Amino acid sequence: MSENNVSIVMDREDRKLSLENENIAIEVKDWDLYYGDKRALHSVTMSLPEHRVTAFIGPSGCGKSTLLRCFNRMNDLIDIVSTEGEMTLHGDDMYSKDMDVAALRRRVGMVFQKPNPFPKSIYENVCYGLRLQGIKDKAILDESVEWALKGAGLWEEVKDRLNENALGLSGGQQQRLCIARAIAIKPEVLLLDEPTSALDPISTLAIEELIFELKKDFTILIVTHNMQQAARVSDYTAFMYMGELIEYTDTDSLFTNPKVKRTEDYITGRYG
Amino acid sequence: MQNSEYNRHISERMNRNLEDLFNQVLEMGGLVERQLEHTIEALKCDNKDIIQEVNRIDKIINKEEMEIDRLSAGVLARQQPTASDLRLIIIAIRIAVDLERMGDEAVKIAKLAGVMADTPYGCQTMPGYRALMEMTVCGMDMLSKAMDAFANLDLANVVTIVGDEERMDVALQEAMADMEEAFSSSDIECKYLLEMVLALRASERITDHAANIAESMVYLTEGKDVRHMNTEKLSQFMAELEAENSSES
Repeated sequence: MSENNVSIVMDREDRKLSLENENIAIEVKDWDLYYGDKRALHSVTMSLPEHRVTAFIGPSGCGKSTLLRCFNRMNDLIDIVSTEGEMTLHGDDMYSKDMDVAALRRRVGMVFQKPNPFPKSIYENVCYGLRLQGIKDKAILDESVEWALKGAGLWEEVKDRLNENALGLSGGQQQRLCIARAIAIKPEVLLLDEPTSALDPISTLAIEELIFELKKDFTILIVTHNMQQAARVSDYTAFMYMGELIEYTDTDSLFTNPKVKRTEDYITGRYG
Repeated sequence: MQNSEYNRHISERMNRNLEDLFNQVLEMGGLVERQLEHTIEALKCDNKDIIQEVNRIDKIINKEEMEIDRLSAGVLARQQPTASDLRLIIIAIRIAVDLERMGDEAVKIAKLAGVMADTPYGCQTMPGYRALMEMTVCGMDMLSKAMDAFANLDLANVVTIVGDEERMDVALQEAMADMEEAFSSSDIECKYLLEMVLALRASERITDHAANIAESMVYLTEGKDVRHMNTEKLSQFMAELEAENSSES
């Protein structure tokens, strides 16, 4: 009998996870963010891998949502925000003066905490971004809507009522519709800011399962208050505290053997 | 509960993790069965190549235990398993410990064959040999039944397995009495007789671990802890359980 005949599966996917083996979608280097004089992010440096789910956890006010909003320059909308450092998306400087912010946001889609469909039909919600891009061909729009709704795991539930108002959907369905809207324009990165905090447990599980599926096509960054959710859905987890990135590693290691005492205290509920 | 239950979660990752764990335990059990087969073969023919194989499989078994622990810790930390899923994790860790120790005991028995191969006696002429064979074969049979019980989540053989374990306790006592006599009457050197005593003890421990695995099956499928019950009590308990289950269905 050869040792190879048994599956002490050394090549199980979770064994192989290491940032060193990943293609990197977003590089962050010495990233600082200020609200006026107040420094909210302190020299954050990290590499966010492609086609993986990376979760950001930490107590309220730790800067995780602030950092997430940096990835599609949502913070530009706040006057008092200023930033320093480098942030690149597949090598392109995201904060360069030449960067078209609208184009960046097409490459980095976002879904928010509370489902926010437009008061339009399901169909129009999904193809909204495509229409903004000037696509008018009905066949292309139809195909994209079906693809995005299938990707968001909603197609079977709504395919016979695409022209109904999206506000008539349940909370969980609305959130999946928002995900469909975000992926319809085929971004490279999908930002999820507490996407299930307004949903019931079963809808939450459905979204979590969807996140797992979506990483095949997209790089996913998720902010969540729910540590267990981060543990369930992510490949890598970043723990932040008071604007600093305290620990960032593969999720298995972070939840079974964190290297930093503060991470251990937080994930075990000893955080004061 | 059926083992197909382990792949019906909404979470595909959970399905995969639990199936991986389930299959890893089955695989580890299969390895120990194979190791015991080799051990029995080694006792029959004092073949040193087979003894090496027993030792080699033992190293793989050790790695399997570590992998089961790693998978279990991962599911506990990341998936928050509950009910039957949680029980699967708990018993997977327990069974892995039992199987790993069975592997160690098999190595001890095989060591006797190795030692005796270098002597003019050979294993088969040793006092205690018949009892050792009987207990080791019984241990392998018990393990096989216990792993079948795990694979099929079927409790039909649990009482038989625990009964066999009690039978082997008696067999060990008798064998030890024979050995005591052999120390004063046999021409064989004491150090070889001592090796036989250790091997007899190891073979009885194998049956203990197999019985532990069978008891774990009751916890897995029914959530009831039947450890430390004797056969009589266990029989009664299982009959009541069956009556309870049939009245519910």
